[in-house]
Amino acid sequence: MRRIFRLPNQLVAALLVAVLPTRTATAQWSQVYEQFYLQAPHNWTFRTEYTHADRLFNAFDYGHAILYETLWRKPEAPASLLEEKEYAFLVNRVLVRPPRNPLEEAAIEPMYARLAPEAKMMFDWAHVLHRQLYDILADERLDQATKDREVQRVIAYYKSRPDLAFSSKPKSMALMQEQPYSLAFRTKYPKFNGLIWAYHWLQVGLYEPLMVGRTREERQAGVRATVSRFFQMLDDAPRQLPHQMPMTPAVAPAFAARYPEAAIVFDNLHSMHDVVSDILANPSVPRDRKRAEILRAARLFKDDTSYVMGSTEAWVRMSQHMGIENMGGPAVGFIPVMPTPSVTYGAVMTHDDRTGEMTGFKYGSATGGDHAAHGAAAPKPGSATAAHAGHTAPAPAPAAGGHEGHAMPAAGAHDGHASPATPASAASALHLRMLGDSVIRARVMADTAMHRMAMEAMQAMTPAEREQMMQRMHGAGHEHGVMHGSGGAPAPTPRATAPATARPRRAPKAATPKTTTPKAAPARDPHAGHGTHGP
Amino acid sequence: MPHQSRRLALVAAALLSARASLGAQTDYFNTDAGRPLTIEDAYALERRSIEIQGAPLRLERIRGGQYRWGIEPELSVGLFPRTQIEIGVPLVFVDDPSRGDRRAGAAGVDMSVLYNLNRETSLPAFAVGVGALLPAGSLGPRDPYGNAKVVMTRTFPAFRVHANAQATFGPRLSLPAGSPDPVGGNTLELSRWLAGVAVDRTLPLRSMLLAAEVFARAPLVRGQPLEWNAGVGTRWQANVRWAMDAGIGRHLTGDDRGWYLTLGGAYAMGWPWRPARR
Repeated sequence: MRRIFRLPNQLVAALLVAVLPTRTATAQWSQVYEQFYLQAPHNWTFRTEYTHADRLFNAFDYGHAILYETLWRKPEAPASLLEEKEYAFLVNRVLVRPPRNPLEEAAIEPMYARLAPEAKMMFDWAHVLHRQLYDILADERLDQATKDREVQRVIAYYKSRPDLAFSSKPKSMALMQEQPYSLAFRTKYPKFNGLIWAYHWLQVGLYEPLMVGRTREERQAGVRATVSRFFQMLDDAPRQLPHQMPMTPAVAPAFAARYPEAAIVFDNLHSMHDVVSDILANPSVPRDRKRAEILRAARLFKDDTSYVMGSTEAWVRMSQHMGIENMGGPAVGFIPVMPTPSVTYGAVMTHDDRTGEMTGFKYGSATGGDHAAHGAAAPKPGSATAAHAGHTAPAPAPAAGGHEGHAMPAAGAHDGHASPATPASAASALHLRMLGDSVIRARVMADTAMHRMAMEAMQAMTPAEREQMMQRMHGAGHEHGVMHGSGGAPAPTPRATAPATARPRRAPKAATPKTTTPKAAPARDPHAGHGTHGP
Repeated sequence: MPHQSRRLALVAAALLSARASLGAQTDYFNTDAGRPLTIEDAYALERRSIEIQGAPLRLERIRGGQYRWGIEPELSVGLFPRTQIEIGVPLVFVDDPSRGDRRAGAAGVDMSVLYNLNRETSLPAFAVGVGALLPAGSLGPRDPYGNAKVVMTRTFPAFRVHANAQATFGPRLSLPAGSPDPVGGNTLELSRWLAGVAVDRTLPLRSMLLAAEVFARAPLVRGQPLEWNAGVGTRWQANVRWAMDAGIGRHLTGDDRGWYLTLGGAYAMGWPWRPARR
């Protein structure tokens, strides 16, 4: 008998020594590792219950991956490669016939996966969280208390990997779009960037119909409607694509109010997607620095101290001030027409990190006659504060999504009892009349600029007229929840909201108006009055 | 009957050599020794995952119309970061019509550990592994056999390359000249060492991997020549839980230039988890 001890440890050692002699090699030594999703009875329920929507997420994986791979491997390629060729393939092929299974992104972005496996795995891990939350919310066997418990368990599992988990502290938008490399991607590839933002809109937006639907049928119809809305965005790209990164509190207010930790993680995730795109797309970051910059950004998005906003309320307010109409609009309860953005594409607003209030523009500007009417002095490029000097800090603007579920009186009901209050002016009567129409009302509620104007118009009204306006806009009681700019903590329980359906949603039948004094102060449009800043 | 025992040890060692080491990974992209190719990649099963391979099948046709079937139910666990631990029980069926020899039985207990050292960056990914085939079953070896291996994976834009090198340690075997080999000779015998390269290409939208390999091995039986083998195979993600594989290969040199076929499926699930109590 003879023992064979050939090819021993020396071979391993020799291989490692051969490739690890330098500091550079040490910097390239990565030991990040994959982890299986949390095993639970609700695994893959969303896939079963909402097959088409689930497959779209597989398609999104492809879009993200091919983007990074192209930016990294073909930096000299013309913009048309992404803006035309890849975009067309995504929209006409991948999104139309999405893959059946979750994709292995490393197979699509092999070179990017080699560049920054740590960042790639952060994305993967957050995407796992996304899918597990869909599963919980889609599981009809779970009651609300169980869903809450499971969501917390899944979040705890997510956070059990601090090397991969995004911070659950809200980060300032400055981390995403005020870095030296920022804006490179959105300016060179506006269409693809808008597509990515549309992805992110749907990824957070799909929580909303699952949250607010009261029955399985409502949830099913709501998801279908939200998916349809996503495709509507693609009809006229980039005009109808989001002009700002969709923020979860604005797009999915009920979800963000109930599960703020998860919502914050997703906003941080989506921010970092943009950051990686900018780093890869910006030629001012040398190729041999890109990995280091991505890893630096990853560290900042993981820690709980860098670029952290003052509070969760500040994050909510910042999201509102960015304007839901700039993010693709609400995910439920929308009207057929896409909202008109109130800022230029990819505009960079600055915010007070402590309060979340908008302070100005660093890039781009407000758009539209109403905004232009505020006529701020032409700012100096790069000066965010100059243009806003003297402006009153904008009050929180209600997000359209936050109004979902309010009992809005139907037009017919109001037509029948419009007479008790006598309008002091024809303008007031016109306002009341218009808000009696469910379509107009929904449009106003979905557009922060119009909502602000309506609120301002109320200042000229009598208390009775004001009350009527509030009732028509916000329904009986018209309490303002977290999304109405109260600045309070997210409400623990989401409002029961009628889900969107495949057809334009009709407002619920009238609730009995309550004769309470309106408590909402007129909100100012956070975009109003801000001038244009150069990049 | 020491001579007979050694022959049976050959039988028992068959699956060990064929599989090189036990392997199991969650999805189609992570190749796995023996599923379908012998050469595998450097990545371990995901942490906290469990993979069950119910009945991965290997069919071999060797000289004289002799067929051999091997099935190896196995359990794999991603117990630690970048570490997979596996245990399996190879079952071997031998059918030799020319001698009316039909036998079946367990061929030992197979255990292995694969430890991934790093994730690929500008450096390749490396892994090291150890394994053992323990005596058990009617066709199991008389002595335990161990092995150690080194694995490397390098990714290129259009394909990946994997390189494996493995050594087996344990008693070397001697068969008297002219002795009939009860299991068909050196087609599935243990390797004194094995080295090879595989190349794979992914069809990501189809969740499918196409792979080809070539490897050489020195048989554990004294006096038998170096053997070259080649194979092709595919892995396919059937759904979120099941990854299927199929492969075919041929012995290119040596006395026995038979072919082999593999077919299998692996079911993946997670390890239960509860938040740590504070």
